[in-house]
Amino acid sequence: MKNDCLLEAQDIHKSYRMGQTQVRVLKGVNLKITGGEFTAIVGASGSGKSTLLHILGVLDRPDKGRVCFRGNDLAKQSGWRLNRFRNRTVGFVFQFYHLLDELNVLENVLLPKMAGKSLAGWLVCRRAAKNRAKELLEQFGLSQRVRHKPYQLSGGERQRVAIARALMNEPEILLADEPTGNLDSKTGNGILEVLEHLNRAGQTIVIVTHDERIAAKAGRIIRLADGVIRQEK
Amino acid sequence: MYKFTLSIRYLIRRPISYFAVAAMALCVFVVFVVITVLTGLSRDFKQKVYLSVGDCVVYTKSLVGFGYYDEFMDILRREPYIEAATPVIKNYGLASVSETGGLDAYGQSVREIAGIEPVSLSRVTGFCQWIEYHKNDVADVFRPAYDVNLPGCVPGIDIIFQKDTQGDYHTTDRPVRAAFEISCVPLTAKGALARAGAGELNSKTFYYSDHFEAGYSLDRRLIFLPINDVQLLCGMATGHKRITHIHIRFKSSVPLSRGTEQVKKLWQDFVATKAGAPYENLLGEVQVQSWKDFSKVIVALVETQQTMMIVCFALIGMITVFIVLVVFYMIVSHKSKDIGILKSVGASGFNILSVFLNFAFLIGLAGSVIGALAGWPFLVYINQIFRFFNFQLWDPQISSIGNIPNTIDLTVLGIIILCAIGASLLGAILPSLRASRINCIETLQVSQL
Repeated sequence: MKNDCLLEAQDIHKSYRMGQTQVRVLKGVNLKITGGEFTAIVGASGSGKSTLLHILGVLDRPDKGRVCFRGNDLAKQSGWRLNRFRNRTVGFVFQFYHLLDELNVLENVLLPKMAGKSLAGWLVCRRAAKNRAKELLEQFGLSQRVRHKPYQLSGGERQRVAIARALMNEPEILLADEPTGNLDSKTGNGILEVLEHLNRAGQTIVIVTHDERIAAKAGRIIRLADGVIRQEK
Repeated sequence: MYKFTLSIRYLIRRPISYFAVAAMALCVFVVFVVITVLTGLSRDFKQKVYLSVGDCVVYTKSLVGFGYYDEFMDILRREPYIEAATPVIKNYGLASVSETGGLDAYGQSVREIAGIEPVSLSRVTGFCQWIEYHKNDVADVFRPAYDVNLPGCVPGIDIIFQKDTQGDYHTTDRPVRAAFEISCVPLTAKGALARAGAGELNSKTFYYSDHFEAGYSLDRRLIFLPINDVQLLCGMATGHKRITHIHIRFKSSVPLSRGTEQVKKLWQDFVATKAGAPYENLLGEVQVQSWKDFSKVIVALVETQQTMMIVCFALIGMITVFIVLVVFYMIVSHKSKDIGILKSVGASGFNILSVFLNFAFLIGLAGSVIGALAGWPFLVYINQIFRFFNFQLWDPQISSIGNIPNTIDLTVLGIIILCAIGASLLGAILPSLRASRINCIETLQVSQL
């Protein structure tokens, strides 16, 4: 998988309507994500970095341009295949964790597996899925928090649960949108260490941040300004 | 799997869903109780009417009646599908109380009179169940216990007794001596007054030998008399003997419609054989009807009332649909972040729709079960509860209805539960569709949190 081009964005344009004004957020972004990379997309607030991440993860559609995964144009895929892509190929980590309050920690981590299976399929793989979820939680130091509800956890713990959830289906790409943006620096560093550790183990990661210090931890930095890539290291 | 888990958690952990469950439970409770009571009233009433008619009636609306009935009844009795048949004369008479005997009857009033053969009538209708003193010797129902040689009569219970405030009659252990003078206008077979210029009325005094309680309006308007006496009173005994009705009971295995059709055919064939016979024109006015058609007017009244009440409560059910709709709009608005999260992990719009429709199903099911569980004991003890609070749905002094019918019909309950679940799904469908179409990017944006 390493050094293969996994994900490619070609001439991505995206605009939003804000009141009477059409705001052009992305104005022709070209980007290739290679297997095993740890890529940071940095830019000022409103520069379009989160929008780009959402388009890469097929949560959003570009107005123009295309996103290819392993050479296949995702725009040509059916809705069912795109859902499957979000379920199995990418894992999202959000700034505000976005855990479901009604589910406990273990159930939140199991969510992608449950979402990808029918009731019968889930009953077949239930035991293995639970073991995988417990392993992830143990890996992130949350084995004592399995039955806790999200509101009973600290911010750092919640974000680790969110990362465990994103990794549940062993996605090829982890997409993280300001994963430390809502945490203090010490806790944020802990999350970064987790991501670095995952990358060392071969996980492809794309992280969006406005924090240069965090971006410095990534192997590749893409600087977004005025809707286009200005600089790449 | 998450669809079921989330639906159950939303139901348990979102207090607002309790309102939807409570509304559904209340609606199911009310509809369950009302439909059970109304269905019971309707069923009881139809049963009472059926018991007073039998399966089929051959009758004329003319007070002149029709002849040749003995011949036709002989034909009927030979048919294998006929259990029993009985001749009846229905007419009107002026009933004057000549001896009250301490009973509540007094004065003069126009009553319906029915001339009957008590034994054969008991084989066709519920007559022997209605009478008080001669249940085991119905043949002697017109022989007063205080003097068996006197001509007897069997008035409806409301004609001779008044109910107390609790709806109870204070009958006596044996019939007391009381007498009614019955006067009728006799008609000839041509429909003319039989005693024109000679007093015009035929009168005879009958003595109270028993009374009957059919459980509906017959009890206050009808007096049973021996058929031979009524024939004389109404001028139907002279020359060409006539009656007005033949009541028929089919064997239990015979379907009502088939039996009625066969009797119609028999009657048509019989009328054909009488072509040119004296007074054959009277046969042309005779109709053959099943008990349902014969009693259509009074049964339809009860059924219309029942339908109107059910429609009214169905409209109340629409309010529940609206409550579910409002609750779901609130929940969907509140749970838009969850919808975004689910879509980000690969859930489709249909999956989101399923989560909320499962939730609606659970609200409908929980509400129905609670409503049914509350309604069941309420119905079982409804008469005791009403008595305890001294609350009466009907004035027992006027109404023939004693206890409130409370027989629970599981099929009806099943239909109510299915309708409640359907109503919950109906109320939830628009908000759920809206949820399934929510753009996850908008819900997951920092500005939305």
